Amino acid sequence: MSVAWIGSQPVPLTDAIRNAAKLLASCRCPVFTLDTDVHGTRSTIALATMLGGAYDHAKGQVLANEVALFTNHGGMFTTPGEARRRSSLIILVGEIPPLHHDLLQAWATSQPDLGDKHTRRWFHIAGDETSSSYGKRLRQLKAKPLRGEGLSLEATLALLRARLQHRPALSSLSNIDSLEKALASAQFPVFVFSGGSVEAAGLVMLQGLIADLNRKGRASSVFLPADDDAWGSALASLWMTGFPLRTGFINSLPSYDPVQWDVQRMIHAKETDLHVWVSGRGGQTPPKGGKVVLISLSRTDVPTSGAAVTIAVGQAGVDHDGVAYSSRIGTFRAVQAATPSHLPSVSKVIGQLADALPGRREFAC
Amino acid sequence: MLIRLSGGDVVDPVNGKTSQRDVWIRDEVLVDAPKGEAADQTHDVSGCIVMAGAIDIHSHIGGGNVNTARLLLPEHHAAHMPRPANTPLSNAGWSTFQTGCLYAQMGFTTVVEPAMAPYTALHTHLELADIPIIDRATLAILGNDDFTLSLLRDGKSSAMIDDYVAWVVGSTRALGVKVINAGAAAAFKDNVRSFSLDDVVPEYGVSSRKIVKSLQSSVTRLGIPHPLHVHANNLGIAGSADTAAATIAATEGVPLHLAHLQFYGYGTGGKRKFSSEAARLAEAVNANPDVTIDVGQVMFGQTVTISSDVMRQFSAIGNASPKKTIIFDGDGNGGGGIVPYRYKQDYYGSLQWAIGLELFLLIADPWRVFFTTDHPNGAPFTAYPELFELLMSSASRDAKSAELNAAALELTTLASVRREYTLEEIAIMTRAAPAKLLGLKDRGHLGAGAIADIAVYRKGRDIAKMFREAALVFKNGDLVVKNGKVSQYRWGKTLRLNPPPDKAIIKRMKAYHEERYGLSLDWFTFPDSAIQRDEPFAEVPCNS
Ligand SMILES: [Zn+2]
Repeated sequence: MSVAWIGSQPVPLTDAIRNAAKLLASCRCPVFTLDTDVHGTRSTIALATMLGGAYDHAKGQVLANEVALFTNHGGMFTTPGEARRRSSLIILVGEIPPLHHDLLQAWATSQPDLGDKHTRRWFHIAGDETSSSYGKRLRQLKAKPLRGEGLSLEATLALLRARLQHRPALSSLSNIDSLEKALASAQFPVFVFSGGSVEAAGLVMLQGLIADLNRKGRASSVFLPADDDAWGSALASLWMTGFPLRTGFINSLPSYDPVQWDVQRMIHAKETDLHVWVSGRGGQTPPKGGKVVLISLSRTDVPTSGAAVTIAVGQAGVDHDGVAYSSRIGTFRAVQAATPSHLPSVSKVIGQLADALPGRREFAC
Repeated sequence: MLIRLSGGDVVDPVNGKTSQRDVWIRDEVLVDAPKGEAADQTHDVSGCIVMAGAIDIHSHIGGGNVNTARLLLPEHHAAHMPRPANTPLSNAGWSTFQTGCLYAQMGFTTVVEPAMAPYTALHTHLELADIPIIDRATLAILGNDDFTLSLLRDGKSSAMIDDYVAWVVGSTRALGVKVINAGAAAAFKDNVRSFSLDDVVPEYGVSSRKIVKSLQSSVTRLGIPHPLHVHANNLGIAGSADTAAATIAATEGVPLHLAHLQFYGYGTGGKRKFSSEAARLAEAVNANPDVTIDVGQVMFGQTVTISSDVMRQFSAIGNASPKKTIIFDGDGNGGGGIVPYRYKQDYYGSLQWAIGLELFLLIADPWRVFFTTDHPNGAPFTAYPELFELLMSSASRDAKSAELNAAALELTTLASVRREYTLEEIAIMTRAAPAKLLGLKDRGHLGAGAIADIAVYRKGRDIAKMFREAALVFKNGDLVVKNGKVSQYRWGKTLRLNPPPDKAIIKRMKAYHEERYGLSLDWFTFPDSAIQRDEPFAEVPCNS
């Protein structure tokens, strides 16, 4: 079975590497789109450091929204493990992506063993825009909805914050009395949110509310990223360059700018001449960008449409071992290959690309 | 490969008086001058000082909280990019890459990250492994987790506590154990807002003192070379000197290391009820040979405080500059707070600066006082060259004092202390003593058989310049820095202990994690191969 193509022609892997390295060496400003584990990310960033250019994530927009909460504001957070063990009051905020529903289920079927040890209760803060796609899950959790007539999620959070501060409010929220009572008796209430369904301003409002609760009592939040791998890539980027994703290099120094280094935008605006698409998950289509040359490292058994070079890669935790961010534990986890395959890891292929570049350069990975 | 460094002034107090002599390197180690053999490479280092590579025992260079600080403050990094102008604080060493380079350029070859939360060990080691050139190590945090607190509450045997400590140290690849405001992070989750040595953790009925004493004994019994590394209660509070004095008094013949003592050097005297107790603490340290301390010197300017002392960081939110913070209630020993802060040359900043220097100068034995700024809490490690100058020159201290708040300095002994550190004392404090404290017998001196970690400094009047830009640095015999610039990259190792795990405790850990977290133990542990570097770790033996 083929693992490498030039255009639509199957070729030996070494030919594809040589060809891709030539394209990389001769381009003016390469951009990299990531969707891979920590080691795939580390090697891609190391390559970008050598070549210049910029890198972003395939889900860069929602990741940027999540990152903005931290870069602009901060907040109070706890881990999924601590929430499970200590929190008898869980308040879901907006939509929680399906990838985290197992975690919610595990909390629902367990009892806190620290703190007040009360039976866990659930609420759900929603706005008009909040999709009810996980309504069944919410019913299983017996989550009481908090919403107001015609209110967005952000407005609902603002209203809730005002009410908890005993400030006059014009409209009312369903189940608000019940939530107030629950907050009064729970020692460690935890708000659970993801960046996909709450705008940055809403996330800041939520943190303001949590800060208010901490004046006299305790409360915290669990952040469940919209995509675990994207968050893992942001963390790896932070230690390697000092910055989260949407970082580029000017005179080989990293610079962070979530607008300037939005790789999709750069492709559309023709600010780049070469796009390296790294997709350990596969199954997604890289954005089209006129004359921008495409190198695709994707979990695929066919050449990527429009790619000058395609190299098949594996996925960490499926085809090979790796390290991935896991929101189940709120940190990195070593993952083992579930069904080991012949597909090479992203980091291995990127390492070969770096070796094949002309001239001796320092590859930091 | 045989390398000769010829004609330098060798400052190596472990192996004798300072003298002009040649230093020989064969491959990775130092050797005696070989007879009748010519060097493959000779470096003329006349006019230079030759020391062993420096060792930093307490610098927050990597792991969850450090990375969260990067996330909170991308502008901090941008403001600290290398600039052509010679501004010593212009570079905070913010990425792993910069951290390795900047440390190496100053002649540091081993650095200890002192606060690894056991559940985020993999994250910490991924970061440490991405720090180039130098060797690293880290201390595992204990004392705030439900498992330890339950063992103490239930009066379990010291053997069982030892087994647990050994398992944590081994499975997290730590070089030692740190306890941070023992019990306070657990108490904070129960809404306790202040916590002293004899306060008790709700739910467990165990005092902070009991936690510290139990861990101190375990560390000693297990033969962990580095004494328990203690971040005491009440950090930063006026009157905290009482807590530090009580902690020093509690050693009872067992070694204990007290971290960043400057942050506990505060009394309640003066109009502002914030005064120096450094002289009193220095006296207590001088009188108690069980105790070693590091200083955590404050230097002026913008920095960010990063600490697993979540209770203390929460109380500091109001002083954040810029106004954004992260407070994190982690699992057990994890969590902490990120609070950016600017040390101003006002009353408080001046007093903190002076207290740190008083401790350095009034603690007599350079084997027991360690050179730290608690990077980045007191100042970024890039401020070290200026700090060396302050220690070695009373005139420099006078000059700086003249710019500072006079009312604050009057409450200190600083002006009257004229001691100046000698090069030999610097070599002890930053080389020989750290190696001894950490149990690293292969470094910290220039005797035959030691690994060839060497820093060569060009002698000059400008002490800070001398220490900022080493003329040459060798790491394991590789020439890595020339004229203050990195000349070659390499990857060091993370130094760790590997006490054999007890089978019963592994079984218990499996059951505990399945029951309490609903996850198998392998979610929380990792194989060496997860780091994806060749031989990422090097083992340091425990004392037998
Ligand atoms: Zn510290």
